[in-house]
Amino acid sequence: MRTAVAFSNVSRHFGAVRAVDGVDLEIAEGEFFAMLGPSGSGKTTCLRLIAGFEQPTSGHIEIFGETAEGVPPYRRSVNTVFQDYALFPHLSVADNVAYGPMIRGVAKAERLKAAEEALALVRLPGFGHRRPSQLSGGQRQRVALARALINKPKVLLLDEPLGALDLKLREHMQDELKVLQRTLGITFVFVTHDQGEALSMADRVAVFNHGRIVQIGSPEDIYQRPRTRFVADFVGSSNILPPDYTKAFGGGANWASLRPEAMRIVATEGAAMTGKITGLRYLGAGTRVTVETGVVPPTDERGAPLHEMAPLLVVQVPAGQPVPAEGELVGLVCAPADLHAMAER
Amino acid sequence: MRSDRESRAPLGLKLAAAGGLLFLHVPILLIFVYAFTTEDRSYQWPPPGLTAKWLSVTWNRPDVWEALGLSVRVAAISTVIAIVLGTLCAAAVSRTRFFGREAVSLLVILPIALPGIITGIALRSAFSLADIPFSFWTIVLGHATFCVVVVYNNAVARFRRTSGSLIEASMDLGADGFQTFRHVVLPNIATALLAGGMLAFALSFDEVIVTTFTAGQQATLPIWMLEELVRPRQRPVTNVVAMVVVLVTFLPILAAYYLTRDGDRIAGAGK
Repeated sequence: MRTAVAFSNVSRHFGAVRAVDGVDLEIAEGEFFAMLGPSGSGKTTCLRLIAGFEQPTSGHIEIFGETAEGVPPYRRSVNTVFQDYALFPHLSVADNVAYGPMIRGVAKAERLKAAEEALALVRLPGFGHRRPSQLSGGQRQRVALARALINKPKVLLLDEPLGALDLKLREHMQDELKVLQRTLGITFVFVTHDQGEALSMADRVAVFNHGRIVQIGSPEDIYQRPRTRFVADFVGSSNILPPDYTKAFGGGANWASLRPEAMRIVATEGAAMTGKITGLRYLGAGTRVTVETGVVPPTDERGAPLHEMAPLLVVQVPAGQPVPAEGELVGLVCAPADLHAMAER
Repeated sequence: MRSDRESRAPLGLKLAAAGGLLFLHVPILLIFVYAFTTEDRSYQWPPPGLTAKWLSVTWNRPDVWEALGLSVRVAAISTVIAIVLGTLCAAAVSRTRFFGREAVSLLVILPIALPGIITGIALRSAFSLADIPFSFWTIVLGHATFCVVVVYNNAVARFRRTSGSLIEASMDLGADGFQTFRHVVLPNIATALLAGGMLAFALSFDEVIVTTFTAGQQATLPIWMLEELVRPRQRPVTNVVAMVVVLVTFLPILAAYYLTRDGDRIAGAGK
């Protein structure tokens, strides 16, 4: 498999701000690749570096084996779906989609036919004569997609493509983008701050923080085996255990992540950890139970509490099993194999 | 019903509005009436009789045509200069960040805030210092100083409302800088430039103060009118010319108003 995009030690600094700081990255051809991170983590700058709107301060970028530095955006076989869609307001939908072919000098009849095909691909046939202002958010997004895809790019970049859509439409577009990517076989690189979106759509995910990649791997890797506390925290849904908690559950003296479904609620006697139930959330497939462990805080040899703020632990009780009541004191256990050790930062 | 009654303005307000409008426009109507009077030495009210002969008299006066031609040429060339410089300046101020950007923005607008007499004196001393003889071109330069401001203001407002990602999108789709300007930037700012250009033309067309300081022997139409007022010969001719000036300046301003009114929709920022 060929490499579509390769970053070697790429940095982009804006004055004293290190927006991107020594990133190494390889995206394979045909891959659906997500860049995940909080705002300001450098993921969008990475996307703009691939598109050519930014030039690296240092390091080297290759797109399909060719050096990208100094190549302007209009000479890269890369197209972008912008966060605000950036449809041209003075052109009809068809002329928007046909903009790329028009610039390349394709005859009018031919490029309008191609535009109609591209609109059919994104399931907007017959919308060509409308103005962008007459479309809904979801429709504009599809037009932006068609306008990029008509150029048959080798890499399609998507900047928070679903950010402006409402929840239901967003879930629908997630499936559609995925199908489109599989059908066309184009390399998709998309930026998002929504971990659910990244995990459900991408083949591989790179988690960004402070301009660096903290972890890169399959969605399963990122979710089940976060390498640092930041990843566990950002991807969410896992319990983050300080070293003494890990020890109490039968692991080593290190930070660990523990999935809610890996814990069981037992009687307080002989349990690895005890706590008070402070919240119950019914989810259909089970119940999420929040346990406040601070009731019986772990203490050091002299009896002083080890943590100012005792962590809340989340336990998932599968459907059909008894759920304790709120306020009840319970014990918690888990299999030590489910403790996933990780670095503090 | 209730809302109908409430939406009607009180009588006092109506009278005040009517009074204001009359105060503004009755003098202009008087000018129009005097253009048709039979009395040609003084402005006498009511006019002793009405005649349309001054229209043909004006038509046959070569000095009127000369002044009108000069004014149109000055206004046209000043407007062209203003459109080029004003657009470039607006693009620089709204598209890039550089040291002193706000100061440049303020300095460009300053000429319209300054009294015309100061602009006039300043230009006159500058021209004589540089030994530039007063001519057609010194009038054009004088007018360009305030015409640039009008175009700049219109263009900068439009640039601000045009999403910057449109330019990036165009580049992304394969258009180089020139193609992007032609296919994306220009269509988006065209109406703003047209409106700014029309306002600039109208401003230049009826300008007196700066012109008196920068003109040599030439008389633009407003200057010609000023000179006519002291010479009591065929007075209604001046009024006929005044009517033409009102029409020539009013129509572009009206057109500019309609052009920018619909442009309130923010280009490219909709979601």
